[in-house]
Amino acid sequence: MTASTTADLAQDVAAAVDQLRGITVQVRTHGAATGAGILWNGGESEGRGLVITNAHVVRGDRATIELGDGTAARGRVVARDLKRDLAALEFEPSSAMASSVVRDSPPLRVGELVIAIGHPGGLVGAAALGIIHGVENGREGRTPRWIRADVRLAPGFSGGPLADATGRLVGVSTMMQGALALAVPTAAVEAWVRRSHAPVAP
Amino acid sequence: MSTVLQSLSTELADAVQSAGRAVVAIHARRRIPASGVHWRPGVVVATNHTISRDENISVTLPDGATAPASLAGRDPSTDLAVLKLAGQSLPAASLRPDTPPKVGELVIALGRPGPSLTASWGVVSRVDGPWRTWQGAEIDTLLRLDLAIYDGFSGGPLIDGAGRVLGINTSALARGVPVTIPVATVERAVTELLERGSIRRAYLGIGTQPVRVPESLVRKLELKVDVALLIVSVAPGGPADRDGWLLGDVLLELDGAAVTDPADILAKLGGDRVGRPLAARVIRGGQVKTLQVTPGERPTSRAA
Repeated sequence: MTASTTADLAQDVAAAVDQLRGITVQVRTHGAATGAGILWNGGESEGRGLVITNAHVVRGDRATIELGDGTAARGRVVARDLKRDLAALEFEPSSAMASSVVRDSPPLRVGELVIAIGHPGGLVGAAALGIIHGVENGREGRTPRWIRADVRLAPGFSGGPLADATGRLVGVSTMMQGALALAVPTAAVEAWVRRSHAPVAP
Repeated sequence: MSTVLQSLSTELADAVQSAGRAVVAIHARRRIPASGVHWRPGVVVATNHTISRDENISVTLPDGATAPASLAGRDPSTDLAVLKLAGQSLPAASLRPDTPPKVGELVIALGRPGPSLTASWGVVSRVDGPWRTWQGAEIDTLLRLDLAIYDGFSGGPLIDGAGRVLGINTSALARGVPVTIPVATVERAVTELLERGSIRRAYLGIGTQPVRVPESLVRKLELKVDVALLIVSVAPGGPADRDGWLLGDVLLELDGAAVTDPADILAKLGGDRVGRPLAARVIRGGQVKTLQVTPGERPTSRAA
């Protein structure tokens, strides 16, 4: 790589991180920062904001959602799935918000770049860059349970976005398995949101 | 128009995909499988420490099919093993033998600990000249990596951004620290293992430890160095034992060169030394004595 490629790369990473920070929220329960969340494109839940995070990030029914611009809103847990480790929160946004763009296709490739955003140790909007570690040969038509990524995450990344090089969302960072990051694939999140969240929405 | 970030992402995935076509899973131990690289047509390179049985070895190919493989040879000192794979139309790995990696070069370690390919990325953290493993093999280049190692890392290839293989990864040669055995060393080992089934190494049957020779003795014996190797074990019936070497001898020189580290002895014990006498100078009973020893062939056990 020439020096200018490296500089271009650095700029691209910074731009992608900036954009992703816009859809990443902080989740606080009882005043303590417990993890990250993603501004989800809620579709029919008009006028309301929808945040997807991990179930282990919001233990109670309520949580404070702090947006990238520093504004805070009260969030209400509208769905939770301990087995999938997912939770959905609704809140009243004070202004128009960004929302995530999900990558439906093409399928993930081993080796492609991924970016994670989270708030490890109170560091708001931290980024980590890595690659897809492995893609499970899932059975025909079934979504693999986890996305495995070679990216160094810490506890505060839980519930935050894992995105590809174009900034599109591919998963919800959920846990570490050794040095490996495991994320719930967005296809699984979408299916879950449709299944469990829609009936609750007004 | 795609950004540099997107191009990099695509290139990394392309490199993984093309190199992954020559990466197989090796089933030769109880635990999860380890990795191997289809190095030459019909020849798979793996790591010795991940092969715990000599028979009943099978490999999982990139297309998911399983095929039997036979062990052609193994060498603990380089931690390499060679398997033969018959009747498969698998592409051989594309190697990068001439340009050694540079410190800071972006690299990917591939593995196949089962049907699917895995990857971790990082940089080459150290490149140095030849080094000797604890069992005496000379590795042409020291390649240390800054990347995370996962199941299936050992026996997998280290590849560059173009998908070319830089060497075989192992976690067993440097106390769990990931190192890569460079292409040149693998090539030599593959050739010898295919020919003989093992890598011939000369052997003395002694264990040594560096010691400082007291200043008075250095002066009295007019020694050029004050560090030598105390012989702390002599294998019964081994070459040194047969030639009259004794526990407590202090080895000063072997084959005309001063020895101050056990690796200096290993450096004199290439496969071509077997059966060819070596001269040695030792301190025995306060006097310098000249001894001879005829190296034997190193047994396959883990003895030094």
